[in-house]
Order: sequence, then C-alpha cells, then structure tokens
Amino acid sequence: PPPEEGGPAPVAGWGEHGQVLEGGPGRCQVQPAFVPRRGATGERWEAADAASVPVLLPSAGCWIPSPAPQDILYRSSLCRKLQAGKSGATLDFARQLGHFFVDHPEDAFGSLGRLLHKNFYLGNAKLKRPARNSTIRMTALVEDINRLEARRGCPRQHLASRLRWFSHLCRDWLFEVPLGLLADCLHEELTQQWSSLLFDDSLTGGALAWLPAEDGGTPVGCLVHPGGQAMNHLYFQNVVLEELPHARGSPAQFELSGRIRQVAAAHVDGQDFVGVRSDYHCGVWRVPGKTGAAPVPLQVIRTDAPASCLTVSPHLPGELSVCTQSGTVYLWSVETGLQRLRHDPQTMFFRDHSPWRWSDFTAHPRVLSCADRTGLQCLDARAPKKCHFDLFKVGEEAGCQQGERVVLPMYLGRAHPSQYLVTTQFSVYVLDERLPLVPVLKWAHMMKAPPLFAHLMPGKPGRTHKLLLGASRTQEMLLLQYRDGFWGVSTGGSQSACQLAGTPQKLHNISGCLQHLPTQLPHRHHLLQQRLSAPAAGLAATLQEDGPHKSMLIFQLSEAGDVIIDEEEEEDMGTPTPLEKAELLQEPCASPQPSPAVPSPAAALRYRRWLRALSRAWREPSRHTWLPSLSQRRLFTRRDLEGPTGPSSLQKQMRQRLRQTMQEGGRIQRWEPLALQPPPLPETLELAGGPDPLSTRLTAAWAGDWEQWWEERTSFSVAQRQRALRERRRRQKRARGRRSLSASFTSSLTYQSELSELSDVGPSLLSPGRPPVLSQEGSPPAGSPPVRSPPPSPAPDEALLSSQSLRCRGIPKERRKTLRDYLSVWAEGPPEPPEPLGSQASQLCIPSSQSQLSSASQPLRKRPRMGF
Amino acid sequence: SSNEHKLNFKKSKEACLSYIQDALLQKQWKRAAEFLTCYVESLEKDYSREHIGPSEMIWRIGTEILWHHSQSSMKEFNCFMEQMKTLGVKRYLKVCLEHVFHLLCNGQIDEAYQNLSLAESWRFGEQTAIQDKEMKLIQAYRGLLDYCSWSKQKNILLEHGEDGFADLAVEQEMHGYFRKAAVNLKEIIKIPGVWDVFVKCYVDLLEFYGDHNEARQVLNEYAYNSKFPANPNAHVYLYQFLKRQGESKKSLISALKILHDIVPSHELMIDFNTMLQKSKKRKKRRLGLEVIFGALDYAGWKENAKAWSCLARQLKQIVISEKHLDWIKQEWNSRKDWWPAFHFSRYLAKRNWQENKSLSYEKALVAGILLGKDCKYFKYVSHQGCKAQLKRFRMLKKFVTRHNPVYLRISG
Repeated sequence: PPPEEGGPAPVAGWGEHGQVLEGGPGRCQVQPAFVPRRGATGERWEAADAASVPVLLPSAGCWIPSPAPQDILYRSSLCRKLQAGKSGATLDFARQLGHFFVDHPEDAFGSLGRLLHKNFYLGNAKLKRPARNSTIRMTALVEDINRLEARRGCPRQHLASRLRWFSHLCRDWLFEVPLGLLADCLHEELTQQWSSLLFDDSLTGGALAWLPAEDGGTPVGCLVHPGGQAMNHLYFQNVVLEELPHARGSPAQFELSGRIRQVAAAHVDGQDFVGVRSDYHCGVWRVPGKTGAAPVPLQVIRTDAPASCLTVSPHLPGELSVCTQSGTVYLWSVETGLQRLRHDPQTMFFRDHSPWRWSDFTAHPRVLSCADRTGLQCLDARAPKKCHFDLFKVGEEAGCQQGERVVLPMYLGRAHPSQYLVTTQFSVYVLDERLPLVPVLKWAHMMKAPPLFAHLMPGKPGRTHKLLLGASRTQEMLLLQYRDGFWGVSTGGSQSACQLAGTPQKLHNISGCLQHLPTQLPHRHHLLQQRLSAPAAGLAATLQEDGPHKSMLIFQLSEAGDVIIDEEEEEDMGTPTPLEKAELLQEPCASPQPSPAVPSPAAALRYRRWLRALSRAWREPSRHTWLPSLSQRRLFTRRDLEGPTGPSSLQKQMRQRLRQTMQEGGRIQRWEPLALQPPPLPETLELAGGPDPLSTRLTAAWAGDWEQWWEERTSFSVAQRQRALRERRRRQKRARGRRSLSASFTSSLTYQSELSELSDVGPSLLSPGRPPVLSQEGSPPAGSPPVRSPPPSPAPDEALLSSQSLRCRGIPKERRKTLRDYLSVWAEGPPEPPEPLGSQASQLCIPSSQSQLSSASQPLRKRPRMGF
Repeated sequence: SSNEHKLNFKKSKEACLSYIQDALLQKQWKRAAEFLTCYVESLEKDYSREHIGPSEMIWRIGTEILWHHSQSSMKEFNCFMEQMKTLGVKRYLKVCLEHVFHLLCNGQIDEAYQNLSLAESWRFGEQTAIQDKEMKLIQAYRGLLDYCSWSKQKNILLEHGEDGFADLAVEQEMHGYFRKAAVNLKEIIKIPGVWDVFVKCYVDLLEFYGDHNEARQVLNEYAYNSKFPANPNAHVYLYQFLKRQGESKKSLISALKILHDIVPSHELMIDFNTMLQKSKKRKKRRLGLEVIFGALDYAGWKENAKAWSCLARQLKQIVISEKHLDWIKQEWNSRKDWWPAFHFSRYLAKRNWQENKSLSYEKALVAGILLGKDCKYFKYVSHQGCKAQLKRFRMLKKFVTRHNPVYLRISG
C-alpha cells in the first residue's frame, strides 16, 4: 500500500490558479488575455435526485462482509496507548492463533492429541497411585488458561508459571504442524489481511463496465458486473435508460472460478470486448454490437502469480494487456496468444515493496505503458527490450510529494489520443506522451482514500472532458472537468497545457441511499447500514443527450454486489443567476448536514422495491445457516400426534392369534411371528446406528459412573482389566435379568438403545460382529440371520423411566429426572401411533412430571401389560 | 484537562474543516463561508507542524469561496489577499503570485503589474530554494507584462509609422519596456523547465531588434539542452524561427528530423513528409515514406485524410515507377500483422464511407496496394464507389487490379 507518510492535505487543491495560460489565439491584441490553469468556469452539473437509486434488485444469497479492523487488531488499554504513539496498529496474532487451535483442533493437534488422550486427566478428583505413573491432572492448567483471558493486560501476567512450564515442555512436539511454521504462515496471512484492509489494490480499475448501445431511439446499454455470494458470477444485464434506468430481461450469466476483481471493456470495430480479471484467471468476452446479442466467451488464461491488471485495447479487436504480481507484463491477443513484454520483479525508478503492476495501451497500438508504484514507462511490443521511454516518474519533474505513489494510470485516448491520467494518493496528473515526465495538468484531489477507479467521459469539441474519480473504502466520488490543449491546435502545431475547468464536485455515494430508505427496525437498519457502507468496487458512467437536456448517469458497484445509479443534469449556463439567487435566499443557516431533499416518487418506489427484495434475500439464507434448535414439531412426528388409526398388521396378527388360541383353548408358548421375516423396522435414528464413544461417555456421565468409565478406558493394569471384566460380567448378568423384563418394550427404539448403552458399558456388546441379542436398535447387518426376538410391541416407558428402574441401574436420584427429560426430548418418531394428545402435546417439549411424560409418549402402555 | 481541551479543540477543528470541505465540494459557497468564519479561531493556536497549517488552509479556502461566491467583489478579494500575505512569511511570494494570476485572469493588468513590482522588492532574510524560484517567476511574469506593454507600443508605432509620424517619446518608452522585459525573461529561461510563453516573447523581442544570433542561441538551448524536458514545442519554435529566417531546406529538414525522433506523431510530420517527397535524394524520399507510415501508426491520425493522401500519393508513385518496392515491403513488414485490423476492417470501411468519402478513397487506394484487390476495405469501398457512379473510384479499381502483382511482391 502507498505509505501513509504525510497524508493527503485536506484542502491542498483549493484556491490556486497554479499558472496562467495565454487566453487568446494571437499575440497582437491590444489587451493581453489570460486564463487560469485552474479555476476557469466549467459546466454546471447538479444532482437530479436527492440520492442515488439502486438499479438492480439485490441478488439472493447473503453477503459476507470482509474482516473489519477490530477483527484482527489487538485491543487492550496497553496497546491503545501504544497506538497513540507512532508504532501503528498491533495485530492480534495470539488471538488468531488461538482461534485456529479452537476451530481446527484436529489439524492442530490431531495425532498427539489422540496419543496423549489417556495420559491427561481432566477430572477434579485426586489421581490414585497406579494411575499417577502415567497420567497427569490437567485441571489446574485448564483453570489457568481460563483465567488468562481475564488477566489480559494485567501487569502480573507472568505469574502463570504453570502455563509457561507446560508450553516450554511441549511446544516443540505437541503441534501437528510445527508451531514456528504455522505461526509464520498465520502472521503472513494476518499482515496481508491488514494491509489489504488499509488499501486493497486488487480492486484497482473497478469491476463495473457500461457498454452503451442504441436501440431505435431509446438509449439502452449493457451493464457488466459481478455478483453472487463470492462475487464469482459475471452478469451482462441489459438496462434501459429511461426516466429512471431499469433492467430489461434477465441477464446473461457466467459462473467463474474465482472472485471477480476487475471488469474492463473497450469498444473496437463496432463491438465490445470485455476483459475480466480474477486472481489467477483472466477471461475475455465479445459482445456483438447488435442490441440483445448474447456475449460470447472467447478465451481464458491462467496465471501463476495473481494478476494485478487487465486492460482491453481500444485499437485492435481481441487484444488485451495483462500484468501479474511477479512483475510480468503480457500482451494478450486472442488470435496469437500471449507475448511477454517484460519481466522484472524490481520496481522501475526506485525501490518499492509493492508487487502491484499495471499496464495500458497508448496512442500507438504496438506501444504499451507499464506502471508500478514508482512511475510509468512505455514499451514497444515489437522490441520491448530496446524501445522504451519514461512517461511518468514519481519525483521532482512532476512536483511529487514525499511518499507519493502511483495508484491508477489510465489512457485517456477517447478524449485526446496522446493523453494519460495518473492518480496518486495525493494528486491527479494528466500527462501527454509527446511531452513525457512533465504533467500537463496537476491537481491535489484531497480524497481521503486513494482513487482506485476512474472513468472518462470525453466531451465534444468546445466542451469539457469529464473525469470521475472513485475511492473504494470511503466510497468518495469526484467529478472533474478539464479542457485539453487549450487553444493548442490554432497556434501552429504547438501544444499547450490542459486546463482544469469548474470546481470539483462531490457526487452521491452508495451509503447516501440509507437516509431515504423506509424506516427500519434497529437491527435491520444496522444490517442495511453495513451493506450500504461496503467499500465501492467499481464505477461506470455515460452521458445522455436529449436535445438541450444533458444528463450524466453514474453507476456504482459496491462490494456487496449492489449497483446504484446517480443522475446528474447539466444546468443551462445562461440562466443560473435567478435560480442561484433564489437558492441562496432559501439556504438555511449553516448546519452540519444540509437538510436532505426528498427523493422523487419514482426513486422512493425503487427504494421500497429494492428493500423488499433485500429482506426476501435475507430471509432465504437462514435455511442454510440455521442454528440447531428444538421445536415440538421435531420432537413428535405428525403421525405421533395423530390418533391411532388402528392396530398395526402385526398387532392384528397377534390379536387374531390370541383369539384363535383362546377359541381353541390352547396356549401360546412363544410369541413368535408366524413368518420368520423380521418385523419391518422403523427408520433408523441418529443414535440407532450404534453408540459412538461420545454418547457412551455422556451416558456414563449422566448415570454417574463416569469415573468408572474413564478408569475402564484408561486402566492398564491386568488386575484392573480383570476386575473390570468381572464387574462387567456381573452387570451383564444383572442386565439380562432386567432385560427379560424389558425385552418386549421396544416401542421406542431410542429409549431402548439408550438403555442398552446404559447397561452395557463395555465395548463388547457394541461390536458390530455381535448384534445386540435382545434389543432392537439399528437394523441388523444385512448378511446376518434375522434375529429371533420377541415380537415388538409397544412398551410403556414409565416402566423404564420409573424411579424404580432407574434406581436399580444405579442412577442417582437427582439425575433421574434429568435423564428422563433428556431421553424424552431426544426421542423421535416412535413407530406406533400414539393416542391423540391435543393440547397436551404442546407441553411436552420439556416434560415436567412423570405422569405427563407417560401419558404423552406411551399411549399403548396398557396392552403389553396384558401379556404379563 | 488542558490536554483534553487541546484534544477537543483539535477535534472540533477537524470537524469544522470537514464541513467546509463538504460544502465546497457541493458548491455551497455561503455555507462554506459561514464555517470558515468559525474556523478562523483555529489561528489562535497554530502550533501545528502539519504539511499545510491553518493559515494556509484559510488562504486556500477563502480564495476558493471568494472566486465563486455570488456576492463577492474584486475589492473584497484584494482586501482578503492583502491580509493573507501578512499571515505567513514563507508563503508571501506564493500568495502574491496567485493574487496576480487572479488579477490577470480578470483583466486587471495594471494592478497585477503593481503587485508584481511590490512583491519583487520584498525581502525577508534568507531565501529558500522554493522562494528563489518563486521570485524568478514573479520577475518573469513582470517581464511578460513588460513585453505586453512593449507589444502595445510597437503596434501604436507601426500604425503611426504608416501615417508618417514618429513619436520619439513613445519609441523611447517602448525601448524601455524592451530592456525591462528582456532582462527578466532571459533569467527565467535559464532554469530548466517548460517556459513556452516566456521563450516565445523573448525571441519575438530579439527578432524585432535584429538580434538573430541571440534568438537562435536561445532556441537551440531551449530545444537541445538535455537538462530541459524533451519539449516538442521547443523544436517547433526552432523550426518556425528557421523558416522565418529563410534557412535552407537542409537545416529545416534536420530540425524536423529531430522532432520526428522525439514525437513521430507530431502535426508537422505532414509538412516534413511533403518536404521529403519533393527531395531529389533517394534517402530523403525513403525517410518520407517512413515518416508518413510512422505517423499513421498513431490512433490520433486514423482519420486524417491529408496524411492518407500523402501516403497514397507516395505509394502510387512507387508502384507506377516499380522502383523501390522494397521500401514498401520493409515498412509493411512490421505492420502487416496489425494494420489490417487497425485500419482496414470492414467496419471501418463502412464508417469511413459514410463519414468521409475522400478519406475512404485514399485509404482504399493504400489498402488495395498493400493488401491486394481482395482486401475487405478495398472491396467494400470500390464497390460502393462504383455503385454511386463516382468516376475516381472506378479508376481506383482499375489501378489496383492492374497493379495487383505488386501486392504479391510486397507480401511475399
């Protein structure tokens, strides 16, 4: 970025004529006439409306704002003091590294984390003797870390010796990626992010182009702009410039593989050529001259280093120039391919660290200008090594300030074939390639941010050329007028300096829309404000002439993808006096903000429509980014809440069998289904797939014997293992006994699986090779023989969840209710239709009592009991 | 709390400045003026070491407002300027110069002259390099105004001289102006820079008094001193001087040759080309072809009918004589890959035909010679010309068809 030394002077451009030029064509007059270099009268342009108006409706998909300074800067009182000095901003490197560790633990500590898992103890209890040999207690360390955040900026920070000790011990081996390397990469990224926040030169040139056309009297044109969430879609939108410009038809759309940084266009041979630059790809499209003709993609090139510039030749069809950050300049012809003109990673006139390069065409189709931050050179493509000359140099010749750097060069060929614009962060220069190095016009533009975008609207003979300058971050926009070669032609082939005409004018920016939009709720207003104050990303304009009425239409693109238009009208130079007088009389006394005029009804309508589309776009993406939330509708399927439509086929079968047996006077020995096929299984649930270690651990934790679970997982000694085995067998036996009771209670598979996990702590039962014998969770492996299990029948979970059964599982009293709530909340879709519940259902999100729970979720509890 | 006060003061100063800036950029001169009256307070504590201090800001903003404010008068402006001159010693000369510029642009030549004289006599301690240059500029502008007076007297004398009167006093006065002007103008043009106005006036003075050697020396210095910027105007002035002096063709050509080397797209290249074409020397004619081809390379010459007719004439000569076809071949070699698209596309044929028939005629002739009778441009224009029953287009078609083998030799 251009260094901040000095900084632009806020008023450096005012009150100076700079020089006087000969005012008359001849020297033999009685009275010599002089005209000022700056301060002459120009055309009067006035805004046609109170503010800019959106042209296109906002596209669907939300916009992700780029990082703000507070995201990457270190915030603390200590540092604020430092910042007040000369040290500049402090990047919050540690916080970002911390974010990385938290957000990507697997990438940061994956393998060692897994290895050390057993040796780190996170509990509160004291470690027992045998375990202490190989396990350390981390609790205190974690507490220290938690306290660290609170201690930020505390002078006694160094007291966290335990942390230092630990970091000394493990920083060499703990990390998956060596810490030094990771830190280097992160720091590099951070500094790059910060510098692009200060000044993002990748946007240079702007990503908006206007291709004018004529369609039977009505002025139309094509707006070429990027869009989409990642700004990687290229749109060619036809726009009709009537009363209020509006889009016509749907745009031609191309999806590109990178964020679009720049859109450049030129009109050659009756057709438009559009060049599009993203970081590593550049493409060129041809738009035929006929209105409504579809754009044709011609060619794409890929660059190794990020491209920093793409300009389209105004002379020859299908010719472009490309620069990359490695210091290479190419002439790119669609027909003959790329020709490398220069490769020089060093800057031209003095050393500057910026890798930014730019290139444009000149009056000679084979001569290209190439620029870096220190100046401009012109080279002949036919002999680039030999033929070149300096066009502009940051230095004494141009009267440059210290620290001044080139920001945007532009060929002004449409106004004058040999003139060139160079903007720096302080001034604008107009150069003539016939008189290199000495600017024919210089003016301090006083913009707060360097002008990254410029647009030229050439004036007809006798009128001024209009030049628009736009800044990105501050959305500033200035309109300048200048006359080239004042009296130059008539003085026998000698050229003379340019003249800046009229005063520079500030035009409406994007964020100016905000105050004219309908009133919004505060948070909406904030979002809107954020969106409208996004940095500008491009600029295009066109002049309209409708008889005496002349207007200027200025399109602006924001980084959020919004395109707005600002219309300026020329005031008749003959009648400004009465109008101006009236204005002066009405002018209120000085107030910080001039009271805003009211937008026209058409504009107000446009605002409302735009806002409606925007709020629609805001609502939509919530689908993609919803946070996990619970609603009662998800707890119970609709089927649950519907009344029983009748017994299932299996029940019918059983009932029939029972009836038959009763009629026969026999007895049923085994409740086996007649067919051997397994009963149709309900859709599997998340937990049904087999409990993962986390659920096991959680279950154990809820059950209260988490410590034991931990010990089992971490125990090493044979004795311990044997003891665990024994204990498990014992519990399995006990569980089997219980299971005989609950075996048929399979109505809620989730409950069942939860419970089986509760009882089977050991992994043996969970191994896939041995399907759970009695519980029905999950679908049996495809190849395994159908499990002979009792016919599933609805089970009353009150039996499962009753205090009794919970107690006998060793669940402490205070956790029983929580467990019940937990289980009931996560249960979903029991296969059997429950009773109609009506209003009761709504209370069931968080069942508070046993009775409610049982009555709600287990409607058919009575029947199975009959069997017992 | 004094620190806080200072901070608040600074903040409100900045806010006020931004309001002024905002008003200026929106042409709200009255609003800006009201804010400026508040801003004047900031002068009280002007300890800033910024690039532009408050006093300079007030000067700049005030000037801008007074230029545009509907109720300001020249008297008020002069008054304001006098105050501003006393506000900063370092800026005195610059403010004077700007004041003079404004007076000049408003036609108040005499007031401007008085101001310049006053400024010239101003002394304040050691002068910086910038002040030195500003002083030189003030002197030069005074010299320029002296020159204007001289020129006025000269015109009076010339008119009266025709009547047979010779007013001695007027003549004396005129010579006085000359001396004053010459001294000052001579000084400024010694400093490297672009001094077109001053050089022209000085040379005019010298020429009037017959000091041609001095004039030539000044112009040579201005054109060829490598410390000066490569200013094409300097070469133009030299060429025009030589022409006025009736110098030989050779020296005129050599002057234009240098101009050609610096700016191949200069307007004088047509003169240069005609001069070279008339020459008997082969080498010169060869150079003429190079010059006109070179000029037509530039976008600014694309629709210059005169240049195209020069090229067409010379090409026609060569083709008819069938001598030096290799010249064309050499010139064409470096252009054949881009001239067809740049000059001879079908789109341009259509447009040129619609806009300028004689241009399209000359271009079609060139296209026919260089690209043969099947070239798109030639085909379109000759077809349209024959359709419109224009005789010279029929002749053109005949000529190109007859000499089509030339095209094969050039492109081969």
